[in-house]
Amino acid sequence: MPRFSWHTLALALAAVALVPAAVACSGDDGDDTSPGGAQYMGAIVTPPIEKPDAILMDENGKPFDLRKETEGYVTLLYVGYTHCPDICPTHLYEISEALKKLDPDVRKQIKVVFATADPERDTPEQLKQYLDTFDPDFIGLTGTRDLMDKFQVALGLQPATRTDLGGGNYAVNHAAYVMAFTKDNYAYTVYPSGMGQKEWLNDLPLLVKKGFRKE
Amino acid sequence: MTSPRTRVLFALMAIVALLAALAAVACGGDDDDTGKQQADDGRQEFKLGDLTIVDPWVRTTTNNVTAAYMTIKSKGAADTLVSASSPIAGMVQLHEVITEGATSKMQEKPGGFPVPAKGSVELKPGGYHIMLMDLKQQPKEGEKVELTLKFEKAGEIKITAPVKKATGSSPDMDHNAHGSSSGMGGMASPTAGSGR
Repeated sequence: MPRFSWHTLALALAAVALVPAAVACSGDDGDDTSPGGAQYMGAIVTPPIEKPDAILMDENGKPFDLRKETEGYVTLLYVGYTHCPDICPTHLYEISEALKKLDPDVRKQIKVVFATADPERDTPEQLKQYLDTFDPDFIGLTGTRDLMDKFQVALGLQPATRTDLGGGNYAVNHAAYVMAFTKDNYAYTVYPSGMGQKEWLNDLPLLVKKGFRKE
Repeated sequence: MTSPRTRVLFALMAIVALLAALAAVACGGDDDDTGKQQADDGRQEFKLGDLTIVDPWVRTTTNNVTAAYMTIKSKGAADTLVSASSPIAGMVQLHEVITEGATSKMQEKPGGFPVPAKGSVELKPGGYHIMLMDLKQQPKEGEKVELTLKFEKAGEIKITAPVKKATGSSPDMDHNAHGSSSGMGGMASPTAGSGR
């Protein structure tokens, strides 16, 4: 009897000592914080963002009716500016790389729209030249300052403001994340800086095939 | 009477301790080694005193601004990158990106980029970058850009940075931020990556 209890105690100690080590090891892959089993990696926005009903000018200088032109597509929308050296090109690059790796059948159900928060500098030509370096299919949108401000407000954003950098240069403070509109014209998920190909490759097929319905 | 029992107990506890230690080693082992290996595997390094500039790169652009990135390590004292210049840019600033709620803001970082003692600072998208403005020429992929970095203590160093579209295909940011311990390193993704 006494011997047995010593063994039990020792085994119990062994178990206790090993548990934290095991937990520490597996800590990294335990991030299953996806909503309702949908396995989305994007950040969930509540309430969802409604796709604005707006007519702006595209990168070819033609009027672009956002609702009509993107009807039936998953639409990734980002508000940025081409003189943005950091976050904008990173988002666009990550999206373009993910799209190349997607099943073509999924890919063709996705449109990518880059709307400028800096219409003074971002002419259609400037947008086209910029976007073509990522993917010639990317759509660029511009318009008057007033239109672009209203567009951002419709997306739940603050109209972009400027930070003067001196020497006639300025930075534009703009949306931190890409919005993903599902085919029902609502965005339930957004993708902040730091999310990249991994998140897109996970979420885009889901967004295309499943959408995002409240369960 | 008690001694054989205690001996068994101690033996078992020793095994437990050993196993725990092994588990701990297995967990945290990768850091330093991979860093060095990668350094030997074609990483670009520039040395200035205690400082090492690792893998600098400049982003391609279609207009007159772009950004430069790199990691700056110190094996000794703390230092600060106070300014930078480049023959291709009329104006160069050290910038940080701050995200507040839905808005990202890029602005000059007062005082420059601190390099911690026996530590490193990473200039990467979404954080710190060297902002190159009033470009005299647009850097194209495959070209190299000359940069002069000025540190508060270590002084100046001239480096060349390749021009790239992006950091590369390995998005090495782990946004789940578990403290600082096992930060970056290209090995971060295999476990978390459900990239199908």
